[in-house]
Amino acid sequence: MIINAHGLRKTFTTRSRKGTQTVEAVRGVDLEVRKGEIFGVLGPNGAGKTTTIRMLATLITPDSGTAAIAGHDLLKAPRAVRRNLGYVSQAGGVEENTTPRAQITMAAKIHNLPDPAGATADVLDRFDLTEMADRPGSTLSGGQKRRVAIALGLVHSPPLLFLDEPTTGLDPQNRANLWDRIRQLRELGTSVLLSTHYLDEADALCDRLVIVDHGLVVAQGTPGELKREVSGDVVTLRLDEPDRAAETLKPYARETRVDHDVLRVYVDDGEHTLPTLLRALEEQDLRLSSIALDRATLDDVFLAKTGRSLRDAGAAA
Amino acid sequence: MIRHTLLFLAYELRNTFRNPIWPLFGIVQPVVYLLLFGPLVAGASGQPTSAQLTSFAPGMLVITALFGAIGVGYGMIYELRSGVLERIAVSPAWRPAIVLGRTLRDGVVLVLQSIVVIVIALVMGMRASLPGLAIMVLLIAVTGLFSSGIGYGLALSLRDENGMAQIMQFFALPIMLLSGALLPMTLAPEWMRKVALFNPMYHPVVAGRALFAGDLTDVSIPIAFAIMLGLAALTVSWSVRSLRRIAG
Repeated sequence: MIINAHGLRKTFTTRSRKGTQTVEAVRGVDLEVRKGEIFGVLGPNGAGKTTTIRMLATLITPDSGTAAIAGHDLLKAPRAVRRNLGYVSQAGGVEENTTPRAQITMAAKIHNLPDPAGATADVLDRFDLTEMADRPGSTLSGGQKRRVAIALGLVHSPPLLFLDEPTTGLDPQNRANLWDRIRQLRELGTSVLLSTHYLDEADALCDRLVIVDHGLVVAQGTPGELKREVSGDVVTLRLDEPDRAAETLKPYARETRVDHDVLRVYVDDGEHTLPTLLRALEEQDLRLSSIALDRATLDDVFLAKTGRSLRDAGAAA
Repeated sequence: MIRHTLLFLAYELRNTFRNPIWPLFGIVQPVVYLLLFGPLVAGASGQPTSAQLTSFAPGMLVITALFGAIGVGYGMIYELRSGVLERIAVSPAWRPAIVLGRTLRDGVVLVLQSIVVIVIALVMGMRASLPGLAIMVLLIAVTGLFSSGIGYGLALSLRDENGMAQIMQFFALPIMLLSGALLPMTLAPEWMRKVALFNPMYHPVVAGRALFAGDLTDVSIPIAFAIMLGLAALTVSWSVRSLRRIAG
């Protein structure tokens, strides 16, 4: 285990003219991350992902709970934890007026590397940044800045890297490019803890993940396990009387969910169940306006665990 | 510990010299006062400008230190927002070094700014004691530590440009007027002179006048050094503590 965290809690108190408000950002989170894996923390905005990562990165002190990171106690030996850590925040921390090379070299010196210039050249090369290494940060594109941010966190070759929402705000091409680079880290043996509110990102990148909501872990496992838990396929139907349709289809389904005029039917084997479902609807004179068959996604897992869709939860937060 | 402080100092100095907008901006105000207000004071007092500058220029150095605090505060808020400070806080850097390196950078920058202001005053015809000038630059360096301690402490506590601008604007003008930097407190009524004693910036201005005039044994000089050293220790440790609060 490279991260072994138990019962992490954090409550924030904000004082304003309206009085004191407390927000329970994290309400008892356990995380076990194995060496060399990409571990995801998936959840809507405001679920406590960033607070969890910031606690594990020694930036804020948990109210209670314990954690060992790379074998060092988070609370008793924060300096040893920091030496073993690369941390890339959502903001990135790339300086506008300074060149990537100068910033990364400085990071290498703080880590007391024997050859800061060499380590900097290596990591710049690895992230295809050599060409813009000597231009000020303000002239870089969003995708390039993101890569500089990650290079800053990796120059000292830490065994563990934290990525807080690494692809938020990137265009699809840059996202795909960054995913490939994160996968390469796994090949090099670096463990990665990554937070995201993108389902496809968690699905595509993570070996294992936790789904968090309102400061609690609601599900944990590999993407495959989690999706199998909900069942293999989901049939999404649009029709006038979803509640009556749900009653009709219940015998054939593992689970049904109604959301306005949309009915979701979870089944084990969609291809073979679909004709049966259609026949049953026809017998009850239920008129369909559309039907779709999909593999269950992590959103279906989120929906099953919290009763809300991750997309709606994100918009509401 | 010292290695990290020097590392940050060198890095920040290099950044400042590559893009010296704030330091240049910082001497605009005192230089404009020197050029456009100094002669007015001279006219009002009936003295020639060159003689008046000996008592007017020290105040301009103190103003440079005062306005420097605003610049460094804004710089720190930018570093908070862009995640730079957070990134450094997760490194194994010795915590106080993060602020100390920057504070020392501000001291170095202020010394250079002071030399520019002094040279301009000399070109305008100021006559001043050379050892006095040297000791004044030292006193200004300490004053700079005090004011950048305030700048960082406020930035790290407020974490907001607007709150920072309001507080700075509210305090900067009365502190400047009550320091006697523009017009000496000897012109002020009794109550103002008493209030001025509680204005930290008043003391380096008075000491500076004595130094420039060559009264190196004047009692105001050790008083100013003692007050500034004490306050600098206080504000710098406040800013270091504020950093610990946001970054463990």
